[in-house]
Amino acid sequence: MGDRFQCLHDGHFMRAELMTEPAELWRIAPTELRPDEDPHTRFLAEVAKVSGTSARCTSAELVEEIVRQIGSSPRQQIALTADLGDARPVIGRALIDAGHDVYDYERIADDRQTVRHLDVTVTGCLAAVAATGSIVTGGSAGRGGALVAPTHICVVEARRVVAGLADLMRLAPRLGAGSMIALQSGPSRTADIEKTLIIGVHGPKRVHVIVLDGVVTTP
Amino acid sequence: MTHDPLTATTFAARAREQLAKPFLRVAVPRATDHAANDLRARFADHDYEGLRARGADIRSATIADLETHLNRLVAAFAANGVHVHMAADAAQARAHIRRICREAGARRVVKVKSMATEEIELNPALIADGLTVTETDLGEYVVQLDNDRPSHIIAPIIHKTREEVRQSLSRVAGRELPDDASELTGFARETLRDAFMDADVGISGANFGVAESGTVVLVTNEGNGRMSTSLPRVHISLMGIERVLPRLDDLAVMLPLLTGAGTGQLITTYVTMISGPRGANDPDGPEQMHVVLLDNGRRALLGTEYQDVLHCIRCGACQNVCPVYRQVGGHAYGWVYGGPIGAVLTPLFRGQQDGGELPQASSLCGACDDICPVKIPLHDLLLRLRRQRVDEGAAPFTERLVASVWAWVWSSAWRYRVVSRIASRLMQISWMRRVLVRRGPLAGWAHGRSVPMPARRPFHARRAHD
Repeated sequence: MGDRFQCLHDGHFMRAELMTEPAELWRIAPTELRPDEDPHTRFLAEVAKVSGTSARCTSAELVEEIVRQIGSSPRQQIALTADLGDARPVIGRALIDAGHDVYDYERIADDRQTVRHLDVTVTGCLAAVAATGSIVTGGSAGRGGALVAPTHICVVEARRVVAGLADLMRLAPRLGAGSMIALQSGPSRTADIEKTLIIGVHGPKRVHVIVLDGVVTTP
Repeated sequence: MTHDPLTATTFAARAREQLAKPFLRVAVPRATDHAANDLRARFADHDYEGLRARGADIRSATIADLETHLNRLVAAFAANGVHVHMAADAAQARAHIRRICREAGARRVVKVKSMATEEIELNPALIADGLTVTETDLGEYVVQLDNDRPSHIIAPIIHKTREEVRQSLSRVAGRELPDDASELTGFARETLRDAFMDADVGISGANFGVAESGTVVLVTNEGNGRMSTSLPRVHISLMGIERVLPRLDDLAVMLPLLTGAGTGQLITTYVTMISGPRGANDPDGPEQMHVVLLDNGRRALLGTEYQDVLHCIRCGACQNVCPVYRQVGGHAYGWVYGGPIGAVLTPLFRGQQDGGELPQASSLCGACDDICPVKIPLHDLLLRLRRQRVDEGAAPFTERLVASVWAWVWSSAWRYRVVSRIASRLMQISWMRRVLVRRGPLAGWAHGRSVPMPARRPFHARRAHD
């Protein structure tokens, strides 16, 4: 798969022209981590700051946590994206057993009516950014899936949490992102009407992040 | 061409009209204080000066070698399967976008908030072609419903009350919506959802274009940017040529500057990095992606004393701190861009004849210089534009006359003494003072200022005797 974020040019043509001594970025940019900070603790704290919710669990508890978050009634339309890997069929079965309609996102992506009426999307992610509380998904798992449904549950393997934006940008060409890298930090929001903060505009109203100690595999 | 307030009215007339709106004078300072305070809080533990020095370096090094970076950007876009179109001016940009829509057989278009599309007045052209165009940013949607103009770069309806928004959305709903920001937003969400689902083409701007990877970067909070570039089968991005960044890791500096200076956020809810149309293994995404690179007066600034204005990343921070903008709002500036950056861009893009009076709408306090995340010397640029206006003879006749008489008097000691003595005597006579200050050549200047009373005996006369 040709990754679109491969860089065509060697990266040296610009740095020499910079006039300031490149200070350590974490001292000047709030989107980086201090060297002594624990990425996972900071990530969960930042998710909360942008009105997201979170949980931390092991591979064995993952399916149970997802089912608990969605509940059993009313019956929900749920899409699962391919970046859930080996865990997807297991999660799917558990959700069907809980009484929901479950789709693989890539099978319904072209069916606008089904996508329009999704209630929940469960995705994996390519990376997560500790300093900003961002989850990073790729076009390879679908651009629209996690965006249309009012609830987005994102499974973040602990090893995928990077410190800040600088690390993410360095990794970008190797993420296998396909045609899009999408950073998402909490539920969608607007303050257009008299600066009143409203959660839930075009993107999800609810974003729940599950940090997984371990990898997404069949428990 | 739609109604053009810039040529139809003067800044003074527009400002008076805006100053008469009580809500504006409460809402704009409140909202802009909010953004400026959030910026300070955001950088409480970090060195904003250090970060903006880095940002300024990246921007100035890039603009100094703009053609090289643009060539790399175009090559990288092409490698990603993006169709690139060059637009020398607004008319060419509109023509490209209209043609792309026509060839795609498009009927419905969704738009992401974009100042560049405002600049080229895209919507009327598309509507004239029979297309249904829907702005999807909540603020821009209301602007479109009201046939209004955005009045702030990132907060387009900063000038509207909740009640005005309620009335506009109620017209769409065909019923009275409740007076509640959450309910109003919910209604817009549902209405615009249909527009997203049915759209053939999504049109966005570009916050940045990354040269090394051929990537368009969009920064939004509502999710409409990602929605408009995910669901329709064609994506068109209109990008000002100056918005190029050489490398992906420049984003680690520029994103926190843009979001911090813009809204005080650490990061916006969505940062969407798009490298071309849907790939062979992607389950969704547009079949085609087009980038229209807009010059429209930008290249002409390269190598001039105004080159630094091309560093601008359109965050709106200079508007938030400007004592003039905070009183008169964005519409007083008469064109797309308001505040200090608007007072610089408008005469540069529209010419001295149309926009030349805007640099006068500044107290030159320099608050904009201090906040600008890429350290554009805005007040220097304003001064240069004032000088250029005089050099080009674009200043009004009376202004030039007063200035040259003033210069003539001040350049000789005896002329200065004679004239100041006469002026002092005349100003002692009360009816003469009234005529001079209220009706005479000082009347415009004296409006809103108290004219000081000259001393009975000038200082130089007293000093000579003591």
